[in-house]
Amino acid sequence: MTIVERLCAPSHDVLLARAVAGPHGDTAVPERLRSQLVARLAASLGGDRRRHRIDAFVAELGPSRFDAPFVWSARAARRPIGTPVARLVAAGTMPDALSAAGPEIERLCDRSHRGLLRRGALGAWLEAAPTAVRSLCAVEAATWAERLLRLVEPAHPGTVAVGVPDAWFDVPGTTITLQGRLDAALRGGDGERLGLLRVRDGLPGAHAPEGLLVDALVAALGGLRPSRMVGAWPDAGLCLLVDVDEEAVRQAARLVLRCAETIATAPVQASGYVPVAA
Amino acid sequence: MTTATPAATDLLGVLRGTPALRPHVDRGLAGGLRAWLEDGLFERLGGAPAPIVRVTPRLLGGVPSEAPATARLRGALLVQLLRLRVAGHPVAAPFEDAELALGASGRDDELAAALSDLDANDRSRLAAEVDAHHAVLAATLPSLPARWSPRCGVRYAIPLAGGAVLLRGDVDLALGASGGTRACVCLVDLTTSPLSAASDATLAYLALLETLRTGEQPLRVAALSTADGASIVREVTPELLADAIELVFDAVERPPAA
Repeated sequence: MTIVERLCAPSHDVLLARAVAGPHGDTAVPERLRSQLVARLAASLGGDRRRHRIDAFVAELGPSRFDAPFVWSARAARRPIGTPVARLVAAGTMPDALSAAGPEIERLCDRSHRGLLRRGALGAWLEAAPTAVRSLCAVEAATWAERLLRLVEPAHPGTVAVGVPDAWFDVPGTTITLQGRLDAALRGGDGERLGLLRVRDGLPGAHAPEGLLVDALVAALGGLRPSRMVGAWPDAGLCLLVDVDEEAVRQAARLVLRCAETIATAPVQASGYVPVAA
Repeated sequence: MTTATPAATDLLGVLRGTPALRPHVDRGLAGGLRAWLEDGLFERLGGAPAPIVRVTPRLLGGVPSEAPATARLRGALLVQLLRLRVAGHPVAAPFEDAELALGASGRDDELAAALSDLDANDRSRLAAEVDAHHAVLAATLPSLPARWSPRCGVRYAIPLAGGAVLLRGDVDLALGASGGTRACVCLVDLTTSPLSAASDATLAYLALLETLRTGEQPLRVAALSTADGASIVREVTPELLADAIELVFDAVERPPAA
């Protein structure tokens, strides 16, 4: 694996230029690799009826990253709310993130009120939450959106898409879902090469490049063809960029398989909670 | 330049200043500061493996690494109230709203648990304190326009010397958008204690962290005490940032507290 670049506090222009400076080759997942990956994942976890999600966090930190079941909080809600907020601001629909966050929360509450959301969804939690908690979520989401918009200010129309949806790949015949976290898509001047960016808290760990490769693989399985994957850690002012070529895709597939094998042998906690399969 | 203001002054007005007089962003400054830090840390720490040195505002100020639990609780609740003010939430019952926000924040779970464990007397005392501090906060920061791009709880974790030194800190409120030709980001550090000499060091350090993180120096940094409404506002200059670097070097050389 090669870390091609490590940027400290890059400007928008530098980040855009480097994000789309990846290899020109085709980064589609070869059909043979895809079928091998599906077959081996089914062999590892296919008999397990619990739901499993494999993502960059699992690749970097292993299966025991949580010691309690997931519950919504303002911190957990900031990205799901902040992503559409950033999209609205980038599109010029709303003047600023804080102004956009309130209506976005109201929209989610309304969807929940009309029964359009499943139980446990963010909108359901927000609808039941006191107004103080909703206000807190608005600020957290606005802060998240501002952070993303500062990184890749969409000053160049047609080159930056902010708030893109995450990539998902349901492995056929299993209960395994692969998730690739994405926050922005950046295109080169030629429009061909695609750089994908995702944002994280804190600072990159020793296995951060492996997580980036897993995100890139899932994006490629979902039909995107990134030539570079960019991980941004705004708290640290750092960006790591990895090239996504055929070898990188193969390496990411090996990482996913390793995760599946680890999960298959991970003990179920006394509460019945399976850490990875939240 | 330092501007120290007594209670009930227009802090936002002082922070904003005159837009036309704001200094231009020095694009080479952050790189120069980082190189200075890296060189200085290598001189002091050498290349030998050593435990990670975590530099925090409290370490710079030479104060105990952790404040008493009640002070931490009070501070955490006031930070939640600041967030609610930024969101434009009408705070009718400060303590109750802050408690709700702290419990749902997803951060400071330990403090939220400590709050729920308080006995009735301690809880009443804390509620009275929070109400009083909130009154000062409301008088000092009456409203924050959304167009100033307010961000709350901005965190910093800047690794240096190959990860041997980690500069940590957080700012309660950041205002203004970076990316322009003129510096316009202002940082506000909220404290429930009276301001002291350590506040100056904290402000210089936070200005340094923001410069390293974004590549642009902020315009001004401020400390606001909700104990008495006093505030300090400092212009961010190369001299201030140089002072912050010396503070980091001092903190790294200082033997760890027992």
